[in-house]
Amino acid sequence: MAAQAAATTFNGNLKKALAGLRRINLEGLRWRVFDAKGQVLGRLASQISTVIQGKDKPTYAPNRDDGDMCIVINAKDVCVTGRKLTDKVYYWHTGYVGHLKERSLKDQMAKDPTEVIRKAVLRMLPRNKLRDDRDRKLRIFADSEHPFGDRPLEPYMMPPRKVREMRPRVRRALIRAQKKAEEQEQGGCQRKGRKREAKTEVAA
Amino acid sequence: MTRIKRGYIARRRRKKISLFASSFRGAHSILTRTITQQRIRALVSAYRDRDRKKRDFRRLWITRINAVIRGVGVSYSYSRLIHNLYKKQLLLNRKILAQIAISNRNCLYMISNEIRK
Repeated sequence: MAAQAAATTFNGNLKKALAGLRRINLEGLRWRVFDAKGQVLGRLASQISTVIQGKDKPTYAPNRDDGDMCIVINAKDVCVTGRKLTDKVYYWHTGYVGHLKERSLKDQMAKDPTEVIRKAVLRMLPRNKLRDDRDRKLRIFADSEHPFGDRPLEPYMMPPRKVREMRPRVRRALIRAQKKAEEQEQGGCQRKGRKREAKTEVAA
Repeated sequence: MTRIKRGYIARRRRKKISLFASSFRGAHSILTRTITQQRIRALVSAYRDRDRKKRDFRRLWITRINAVIRGVGVSYSYSRLIHNLYKKQLLLNRKILAQIAISNRNCLYMISNEIRK
């Protein structure tokens, strides 16, 4: 296939990326590309889920699945706010008594960063019979390579966002961290000159 | 008392009912007892859904209008469109707006821009 020949640069799970493509009929769908670099996880997932459901088209019908194919790249560069990198925990139960397993966001990103976005989007879709088909339309890649280069791709522009200003405690912590970084830099370059006076200045 | 056979009375009654259920799936169009039950359920659904239909279609029109209107610009949505419609006292209903959205998107954009001023 031309797709597979052109995608030899894509080292990754080619089989997984192209899995189930034959099951999706109606190739009048668009292929939208989402760049997850620097995007906040939940807000990105919300936009992806509207596109996947086909809710940005005037021909939306709730009983049939007419969403566009979504490709997400740079999944490992997706951001979260607050302390979620360590504190957000994914739980699942295996079915055996007492076997509630957990894994934090950090470990999940180390293990498989695509699962983070996939879980986020899947949990935003309505729980009905179309959910599995919609899952099949979503292709996520950890870096910026993907084997769909020869399709007519359209990049998706995220809507502009109002970032609220920092809470005072967080802002103070940020300022303190910046000052500390400056002090370390100054202390580092003046240690070569071995000037104790400079150190006392910095400490004051 | 004289003996009375029931004869063909029951069969006639059931024939009418099974005519109603003739297009049902599987045993629901063949077995007489299930036919009676399924006919009752079908009529109940029809009664309830005649009112539901009005609600469902309005929901669908609203979703479709919302989908198209969000393409106008940043922070423009169905709710703002309807607010503007009511302010300018434009009497287009959601059914017509949804049809315009499907067939002629630019027309809807023109209307929304006119209303916005």
